[in-house]
This record gives sequence, structure tokens and C-alpha cells, in this order.
Amino acid sequence: MSEEVSRGRAWFERFAAGGARADGLPASVLAADAPLDGLPVRWIAVVPAPQARFPRARSGEMGIDEAFGVAAAVRGVPPNSAIVALVDVPGQAFGIREEAIGLQRALAASVDAYVQARRSGHPVAALIVGKAISGAFLAHGMQAGWIGALDDPGVDVHVMSEPAVARVTRMQRGDLARIASEVPATARDIASFARLGAIDALFEVADPQAPTDEEYAALARALGAALRDGSGLRPPGERLNRPAAIQPRALARRVRDELAAGWDA
Amino acid sequence: MTPHIGDSYAERNARERARTLLDPGTFRELLDPFARMRSPYLAAQGVVSQSDDGVVVARGTLGGVRACVAATDGRFLGGAIGEIGGAKIAASLELARRDAERGTPTRVVLAFDSGGIRLQEANLGLLAIAEICDAVAALRTHQPVVAVIAGRVGVYGGMSIVTALCNEVIVTEGARVGLNGPDVVETEAGADEFDASNRPLVWKVTGGRRRFAQGHATALVADDMPDIRAAVEDAFVRNRPFVAIERPEFPDPGLEREAFLRAYGITP
Amino acid sequence: MIETLTFTYPASAHVARRAHVGVVASGNCELLLEPSPEPSASVTVRTSVGGYATTWEAVLARFFARHSIAVRLEIDDFGATPAVVAMRLEQALEQAR
Repeated sequence: MSEEVSRGRAWFERFAAGGARADGLPASVLAADAPLDGLPVRWIAVVPAPQARFPRARSGEMGIDEAFGVAAAVRGVPPNSAIVALVDVPGQAFGIREEAIGLQRALAASVDAYVQARRSGHPVAALIVGKAISGAFLAHGMQAGWIGALDDPGVDVHVMSEPAVARVTRMQRGDLARIASEVPATARDIASFARLGAIDALFEVADPQAPTDEEYAALARALGAALRDGSGLRPPGERLNRPAAIQPRALARRVRDELAAGWDA
Repeated sequence: MTPHIGDSYAERNARERARTLLDPGTFRELLDPFARMRSPYLAAQGVVSQSDDGVVVARGTLGGVRACVAATDGRFLGGAIGEIGGAKIAASLELARRDAERGTPTRVVLAFDSGGIRLQEANLGLLAIAEICDAVAALRTHQPVVAVIAGRVGVYGGMSIVTALCNEVIVTEGARVGLNGPDVVETEAGADEFDASNRPLVWKVTGGRRRFAQGHATALVADDMPDIRAAVEDAFVRNRPFVAIERPEFPDPGLEREAFLRAYGITP
Repeated sequence: MIETLTFTYPASAHVARRAHVGVVASGNCELLLEPSPEPSASVTVRTSVGGYATTWEAVLARFFARHSIAVRLEIDDFGATPAVVAMRLEQALEQAR
């Protein structure tokens, strides 16, 4: 299915309609301040930019300009405003220019911006509307206190693109499917990611590009509630203790318990 | 005992690196191999697990001060991080932060040799890295978080992002720091973009000397345990706050590849 | 997938301490060795290279015939040759003494 407008842009335009656009950002980073049910929110999305100056970062990937752009958008958040990351990123940019400049630092700038914003009291939420891959998702979305997602086959969460996984593992689709069913952490679909206790809410939409008024209202309500009730301020580590994470993250909790027990022995 | 050559850090395994970084005689490993905290996800994928899941956490002292070293084993699955190894690192940072809040600070050294997130545990590794990023940023408000990147693998992927969040990054010339390894760039973008077999180019772009010159690393030292220990002690004593990462100057990315690299001071 | 093999040999000699050697890297293996209260050496091998049960038997039988130590031994193998396995066994014994 080809989409003329990326999901990130479509949802940004819906949520941030009429809002004041933040300036000084590259064309691939959309940021605007528009209230959600009376609550001030800065909406941030990364979108494809065919005219982007880096040849390897024109299809929505997080490259140098995108990562520093998101960092700037987050750092520039108005006082008392929440932040919502609209996540639709196919991954990080692969290029020698990016490596030479240090894309890992640019992504870290974005990670750090979100962490500092959240820790200084800005509620941060993420809504996965498309792809959420690897370093790009780490930098844009994973530091949110609340993560929602569309319940849709086009929502994809992983550390590597599907073609790349096949190349690296040299496995057939059947093998990868079997492994995904036995090890949900390796599956890409949003239901499997939710089974890791990592998602706070799933939203069904008939057309992920164009939600109905009811679908949009339900989503907006849930998002608004999350931004108001303190969910947006929770650090990632707290996710381990949530009801949905009790079983799937038991091992991660056990490691922490064992280390704590032996720390000063 | 694994034989190691003189004072080389690179030649040592993760356990020996942790032992030698800490003050002599103070090394005490937590969740050691005999705890058998193995990854339950690997057997189904035809991969044999390692008893420490490729991460060594040890308490001890550094310069007489309470300390913890978390060292990744670059020889097991390229040092890639899974659920258990990731939890070991996150827990070390979280416990050190608790210690700082209680007034009994514990120094943390992250001795990373890691290709990033373990593909066989994918999203669990991703979740762990997000937790580690936050834990580094939280500990950083109290004290420097020191990374030592001096092994054969270097740091890539999510682990390079974690490294960039540290106040102090100690590298050797032999170290490499990058987001995507050259072989990954070559696979995704072709050998014309980055010829992974061109090893001199790999180090010119991602090597320790280059990264130090760029200001990505705060100390460049020889592959020598006494020098590395001194640099680590220095880093804690200096107690420099974290400087928010700003966009650096770089040549016009629209320049053709070779022209870009030359303008950036790299002879391809 | 992973092949798990078990072997047991009668044994009576004691070792002083436990030992850990090696690494799960290509062509290598990790050994965890602990003193056992039983009069036997019981071995569990986990390997990603299947079909070599007889070779494992030969290497292990030879070692435990020479060193009849009462231990529990776990081997995590990633394609180590008999020579590498034999070396790791000797290293573990050295550490355990």
C-alpha cells in the first residue's frame, strides 16, 4: 500500500491543526504547539523529505538533521507544555557522512532532550502510528512516560528493517516467523510489543491515514488523560513494574533484585 | 586463567578488564557465571547461551572509593545486549543512583565492547537500552558516568548512543565508536558508500583518535591498564558536568562523498 | 538447534574449588566446573553443532580417566575442536585445584 502522505505527517496535521509551527527546523521535522482539550502540547513528527541535504536521509529516517532537529524541538518546548512524539520512523540513516559526523551523538542529543524535558516536569507521550525502528525509536518515542500505538499491521517495532534481518540472519521467512512466535521479543507486530508490557494503550482505526471523528476523539481522550494524570512523567524503568509487564519482564526484575541483594553484601 | 599480554586492556576478557580496572583485591562479581543467569531466548534460535549473558558486573573500589564496573564481553555474540545483560547494566546504574541519593556514592564505569542490541532478543534489548539511557542521565545529575571504549569491537548501535550520554568517554586509538558499523552501512548503502574492508578508512572515520579530535571522547590513552586506570580516576576527580550535545560544524553534506570527507579532514 | 548431551563417569578425587573458563565464541566453549558430593563426574554439554556425541564421549572419557574428579561440569559449546575442549578441561582442572 503506497501512502502519499506519511502517517507521521497525517497524524501531525490532524493533532496540530491550527497550531503555531516551531521554526528553524529542517523540513523533515514537524513541530507545532496546539492544545489538546485545553492542555498545551508540542507535537513532534519526523517525516520524509526528498529534498533533504543528506542523500541518505530522505525517506523519513532519523539522520543528523532529524536527530538534532528533534532535540531542538524538544528543548524549545514552551513552559508547562506537554510533548507528544508522533512516531513513524523506518530507522536511522545509513551513510558515511552520518558516521563521520557522529549520528550516535545526534540521536543521543534527542534522547537526552526528551529525558531532560520529562524529568523537569513536561509530560511526554508517544503515539506509534507507523514504524518505530531501532535508534530512531530510541531517540523519538522511547523516553516517553506513556506510549500508545495504532493497532494496525503497518505499525512495526524492531531493531532492524525486515529486509536487513533476513540478510543478516540468512533465514527464510518461515524460520523467522517460527522464531517470532516462540520469542515475542523478535516479532515486529504491535501486539507482540504490547505483550512485553511496553504499550499503554492500543487504538483500532479502520484507516490509519484517516481516523474517523469517533476514532480520533477516543485517541485524543486517552492521550489527554495520560498527559494529565502523571503517566507522561514516568521513567522507562518503571515500566517493568506495571501489570502488563509482570510476566514478560520478570527476568529483568529478577536481575535487578539479585543485584540489589548482593550490592553491599 | 586466560593468559593476557602485559598490561593490555584489549587483550583482556571482560572479567579481567573489570578486575584490573578496580583497585587490586577489591573485585567482587555479582550474578557471576555460577548464578547461571542465562538467556532463555537463544536455544530456540540455535544459539548457545553464556552463563553470564555476556555482561560482567563487579563491585569494588576505585581509588579507594565505592565503585562498580559493568563490562560487556565482546566475544559473546559481538557483545550485543539482550534482556539479562541489559538489566545488569541498568541495575548497576540505578543502584549507584540510589547510593548517591543516600549520600554513599558509588562510582560507575561502563566498559563497553558491544555491537549494540542483540538481534535474537530485539525488542527486549531495545527496552533495556532505553532504560539504560535514562539511568545514565539520572546518575549523571550526581556524578560523572565514565565509559571506557578500548576493546576490539568498540561500540555501535544503541550502545553508542548510551556512550554519547556519558560525561566522560575514554578511548584508545584502536577503539571504534559509531552508530552503524561499516559492514552495516555497506550492506544498506553499498560498498561505494562505505567499503568495510578499507580498514584504514574505518579508523579514520570512527577510530578513537578521530573521535577524540572531534570532542566525542574526553580522553585518548594507550592500550595500557595503568594509563586507563589513571584516566578513569582523573575523570571522577575532575567531576565535570555533562555538556549538552550540540550540532557540530561539518562540511556541506550535499558535497560528493570524497569531497565531503576531504573537507572534513578525512583522506579516503 | 541446540543439542544437549549428558555423560557420567565414576569418580572419587576431590577438587578444592569451582572453576570457570572459556567463552561462547565461534570455535570455542565455556566450562563451569563445581565440586560434587556424588562419587561421579556428571557432565552436561550444550552445543550448537550437533552430531558429535561420540567425539564428545571420547574427549570426556579420556579426560576423566586421567583425572577421576567428582565434579559437576557444564559445557556451553560453539563448535570447539576436540583439542580446544581438551585444553579448556585442563584449564578448568588447574583452576579447581
